[in-house]
Amino acid sequence: MEERRIQKKHKTGSVLYIILCFLFLYLPILVTMIFSFNSSKSLTRFQGFSLTWYERLFTDNEIMGAVYVSISIALLATVISTILGTITAIGLSKSRKIIKEIIINVNNIPIMNPDIVTAIGLMILFSSLKIEKGYLTMLLAHVCFCTPYVITSVYPKVRNLDPALANAAMDLGATPFQALTKVILPMIKEGIFAGVLLAFTMSFDDFVVSYFITGNGVKNISIVVYNMTRRTNPTINALSTIVIVVIMITLVVVNIVPVLTKKRSKKNLELEKEGIFISKNERLKKYTGIISGIILIVVIVLTSYAGNKETLKIFNAGEYIDPDLITEFEKEYNCRIIYETFDSNESMYTKIMSGETYDIIVPSDYMIERLIKENRLAEIDWSRLSNRDNLNKNIMGMNFDSENKYSVPYFYGTVGILYDKTVVKEDDLKDGWNLLKNTRYKNNIYMYDSERDAFMIALKALGYSMNTDKKEEIDAAYNWLIEQRVTMNPVDVGDDVIDNMIAGNKALAVVYSGDAAYIMAENQNLEFFNPDEGTNEWFDCMVIMNSSEKMILAHKFIDFMLDVEHATANSSFVGYTSPVEGAYQNMLETDYKGISSYTPVMGNKNNEIFRYQTAETKGYFADLWTKIKAH
Amino acid sequence: MKHYTKLVRPYLIWSLLIIVIPLLMIVIYSVTTGGNTLVNIQFTLDSFKKFAEPVYLQVFLKSLQMGLITVGFCFFIGYFLAYTICKFSEHAQNYMILLVTIPMWINTLLRTYAWIGILSDNGILNTILEKLGFSSISFMYTDFAVTLGMVSDFLPFMVIPIYTSLSKIDDSLIEAAHDLGANNIQTFFKVTFKLSIPGVVSGIITTFLLSVSTFVIPKLLGGGQYMLIGNLIESQFISVGNWNFGSAISVILAVVILVAITIMRKIDPEKTEDE
Repeated sequence: MEERRIQKKHKTGSVLYIILCFLFLYLPILVTMIFSFNSSKSLTRFQGFSLTWYERLFTDNEIMGAVYVSISIALLATVISTILGTITAIGLSKSRKIIKEIIINVNNIPIMNPDIVTAIGLMILFSSLKIEKGYLTMLLAHVCFCTPYVITSVYPKVRNLDPALANAAMDLGATPFQALTKVILPMIKEGIFAGVLLAFTMSFDDFVVSYFITGNGVKNISIVVYNMTRRTNPTINALSTIVIVVIMITLVVVNIVPVLTKKRSKKNLELEKEGIFISKNERLKKYTGIISGIILIVVIVLTSYAGNKETLKIFNAGEYIDPDLITEFEKEYNCRIIYETFDSNESMYTKIMSGETYDIIVPSDYMIERLIKENRLAEIDWSRLSNRDNLNKNIMGMNFDSENKYSVPYFYGTVGILYDKTVVKEDDLKDGWNLLKNTRYKNNIYMYDSERDAFMIALKALGYSMNTDKKEEIDAAYNWLIEQRVTMNPVDVGDDVIDNMIAGNKALAVVYSGDAAYIMAENQNLEFFNPDEGTNEWFDCMVIMNSSEKMILAHKFIDFMLDVEHATANSSFVGYTSPVEGAYQNMLETDYKGISSYTPVMGNKNNEIFRYQTAETKGYFADLWTKIKAH
Repeated sequence: MKHYTKLVRPYLIWSLLIIVIPLLMIVIYSVTTGGNTLVNIQFTLDSFKKFAEPVYLQVFLKSLQMGLITVGFCFFIGYFLAYTICKFSEHAQNYMILLVTIPMWINTLLRTYAWIGILSDNGILNTILEKLGFSSISFMYTDFAVTLGMVSDFLPFMVIPIYTSLSKIDDSLIEAAHDLGANNIQTFFKVTFKLSIPGVVSGIITTFLLSVSTFVIPKLLGGGQYMLIGNLIESQFISVGNWNFGSAISVILAVVILVAITIMRKIDPEKTEDE
């Protein structure tokens, strides 16, 4: 009696612990599911039930494209790696010891290596072989890391087989192929099934490898989610919820069906006893039916993917275009736009250096200067741009391309400090950039995660030129940044600064004037200022790469973006200042009425534009930046 | 008998091309200079020397530290969970293990993304804290957030292998230990734990591998200034464009993990007998 009570007490403790653990594991999943039904954009406050995000999901081309890529790659990679893995495992058991050991050890490499190492290895391989990155490279990479899992789950089953079985079948007149399909495969099907499941999930969930080896706008779900985390987008919650539900149903089915089939096979046995014989052939037919069905789907999916419309490849910063404009352009000119995004000029440049080509890219001033010097850009034929007169003449002819031979303005602005009027004292603003070192605001600062902007702030705060190549000045700026890091504990952010500042999470943030406009329109407590010590005047422009073979279409796209109506839509969506005069005026009267930062303050004589750096200076900065980040 | 040996050949060639050669290329990049092409390369150990600078060593140590902390938490929470699950009926066990597995099937990024909503300054956790009368705490962009994200993501990888080992233990062994006079604690350490070591080893290897090399979780939950070795590699390949240095760090990471695996394998009695 006593013992029983103890055991019962024991059991409540156990149940409690298990519940706590499951709560911990399922909390993020539950939150995702709940907020997918939220009527507002917030990820933290539930404001009522709605299905808006589900509707948006099915009309969002980017997400639906990613779903398609994830599923088709996972299916293809699973089929290929299962076949490859299974025949290898069968052959392996009969091979000489040395071959067996080589294969088993090589096979362990992708399993035991960190994803990131596998990923960069493949990335280097594909770039050195000049294989164009995209769907095919992603598929090859997925087969690369899926096959080892199939082999490890099938091989033990093969090893446990009685070798006499295949021999017996062949003695009885079966060909080796028949012995394989009729004797060996049915006996190892559990291992194969486990392999299929593993391969499919590994492929479907992969982020790291896909992220490094993708190109040409081919994105799977993980990559889209990664790009989206920078700005809240609850459609992704809707997608997660669907994925979660589908997976749960599948797993439950997979776990319950074997129980049912067991029951059925018992029934069959009884039927057989009664003299009713169910032909084995029928079962075989069913399997081949399923397999050929899968292959058929895959083929259909593949062919539908390869369209024959003219394509235009565009490379732009993340969250830097109104996506509706892309769809509209595609419709108007009956073409397909392959749209890829980068998170900094440097990562854009690295991608181009690794062999990627695009028709149109949208880099900033200093990067344009560099691309011109390296002969990578084609001249703009201004006569083809019917909307050229819409451009604001004051922001043309800047030093990086003084005659606008290669570049057409896209957005422009400055960098400054966004501050919370309710927290920051007006008096402290006199400190200029050194406000970012005022310990009153310790732990209360977002810095922009960009090498050149961070150094610009430090150099300007110290009274130097932001284009300096003097080591002493750069070192002083480095020390300024390190000191700021130690005393202020700032957080480096990218586009996530937008959501964070709208939510009012911190008092100070270094932002681009355009982001400031977008944020201030959503949060009235904020104000923006450009320190007197000067700042970075920047110009992002559309340029055409000289490798492009789509000159006419590329010019059409640029012209399309200069149209007042389109530029207005774009500026409204992104929040940045439009170089198209009409769009700028429209915005001043509508979305950004009364918002100071929409009109960049350009007059300060201390302001500069970033210049192209020599390789030596660039390397020096890059090294120090890595050190700052690692500090 | 020999009919099937030829079946190995496709994979032999395939794995050479897509597993071995890429690894060799990483090694070549790590000991050379000359940018992103293999033309005009020069042999040098500069990349490794660079890694020996205190800043990078610090990143490396920080990664190891975060990895070990994550493995530690996963081990204690996970072992106890697996052990507790084993106490239930076989039927209940199957369902519970299924529940442990499901999160593994759901995208890591999606789960990490959800943690941002929970932990952010105006997030769910802080809203609850405020309602309870506490002042809000900044969870995001701290070691705590990164550790929490990693433990929650990697816990199933610890629970499953340990559970597999534990569920294989014959109950009569434990009864025998009790009959021979061992108390609960003695039985646990001398019988149960010893027999579960293969699962523990496999769980520790997997969680360590995942937590040392991740760059997504630190980036999302730790912010842009949070740098672990995975982020360092990513930045060298994606933004800085120094593939040589990036390759050198990858080589070091791979070697460290290989050493860790070898050490862990030594502890595992089953595996050594097997080989």
